Amino acid sequence: MAHLADKLKEEGNTAFRQGEYIVAEDLYTQAIQRYSRNPLIFTNRANVRLKLQKWDDACNDCLRSIEISGTNGQNHKAFYFLAQAQLAMHHPHEALSSALTAYDQVREPKTAGAKIGAKDLETFSSFVLKCKKAKFASRDRERLRRQGSLLAELEEALTQTLNRELDGVSAQLAAGAIGHVAAQELTAEVEAAHGHKVADLRSVFAIHQDHQHQPREIPDHLVDMITFEPMHDPVMTRNGHSYERATLHEHLKRSATDPLTREPLRVEDLRSNYGLKAACDEFWASGASEWVLDW
Amino acid sequence: MAGMSAKRLQKELTKVTGALPPGITLVSAENLREWYMDVQVIDNPIYPTDEKYRLKLTFPPNYPIEAPEVVFQHLTSPERKVPMHPHIYSNGIICLDLLDAQGWSPVHNVESICISLQSMLAGNTVKERPPGDAEFVRTNRQRPRDINFLFHDHKV
Repeated sequence: MAHLADKLKEEGNTAFRQGEYIVAEDLYTQAIQRYSRNPLIFTNRANVRLKLQKWDDACNDCLRSIEISGTNGQNHKAFYFLAQAQLAMHHPHEALSSALTAYDQVREPKTAGAKIGAKDLETFSSFVLKCKKAKFASRDRERLRRQGSLLAELEEALTQTLNRELDGVSAQLAAGAIGHVAAQELTAEVEAAHGHKVADLRSVFAIHQDHQHQPREIPDHLVDMITFEPMHDPVMTRNGHSYERATLHEHLKRSATDPLTREPLRVEDLRSNYGLKAACDEFWASGASEWVLDW
Repeated sequence: MAGMSAKRLQKELTKVTGALPPGITLVSAENLREWYMDVQVIDNPIYPTDEKYRLKLTFPPNYPIEAPEVVFQHLTSPERKVPMHPHIYSNGIICLDLLDAQGWSPVHNVESICISLQSMLAGNTVKERPPGDAEFVRTNRQRPRDINFLFHDHKV
């Protein structure tokens, strides 16, 4: 059965390469019906389902594939496809966590001889960045929404206070405690005071918002000198400068030299820069829109 | 990879449209892969201050891992000459180590390239073409990046 499944999987791969996604999905499904313990068939079907934008199904295939290979097993492709599906379904938090798992598994494979493509580190690294940006943006939207509703709630409370005071004036008038003229004056006074309070409240929110939207450059020390993008996994060279791991690897593939000093430099010479990574993480976790969002 | 170069070029363009060192101006970058810059030399009698030199920069898809191709252009309107320099051929091809595959580093950028070329001109003392200029211009069919220049002279 496993043998027949492999044959169907190969046919699926061929269809996939030819862009026959619906055919490929069907072939993978048939393969799974014959033999359902091969995680690769699920990963491949997830990939084709991403192309067909069947996010939910793709997600399930990835989870199934990861379940078969074991949560701690090497399955970077499944985590990467899972991240893509999760991001498409607007779950940036989950997507980031899956993307980071994929990235870590490519950086430090769990099993010797894991099949890792030459471009995987770079591809996964930029996808991690994409998820971080999406998470950042979603938190920003959430904050604005919360802030918007807070303003509305406070305005509502002020209106209730106004109404209570106006009711009080009416009650005094009805009880004969004050006259018409005094009641009119009191009403005007209460309404004017309410108007001032609302204006003050709104200007406080406006000032705060302006401050929040004050464009602030992302500090240079958090930006990779090669891609000009904010870093998430910085590594340090021997002269103390840091770069994003994936882009520096890409440079070293072409020229085994330090980008600044041109001294010989190998991947083995690089060290993770944990301090800077913490600073990068702080940036990603920081109060959203005070940063320039120029991506 | 194409995504990386497009983003980086977009960011460089934003920077370059802001402020540039004196004597360096962006002419156009309508096509993100092909930029035109003008360079002036301020204090070298070999190059009149009112003369501008037009640079054409062509970026490969995996820029900045790979160097851009940078040449001087000869134009009649507006008039742009190819500056006289022992490392610049009369067809505009430049022999400068940082533009060569070996000498390039991804930390360079459009601005630093222009500054390097500007100072290469500013420091020049001889008003001549490289040896064998006529022969090179007549016979060369290679792209600048594929030429293996011999950097025999590190003074200039």
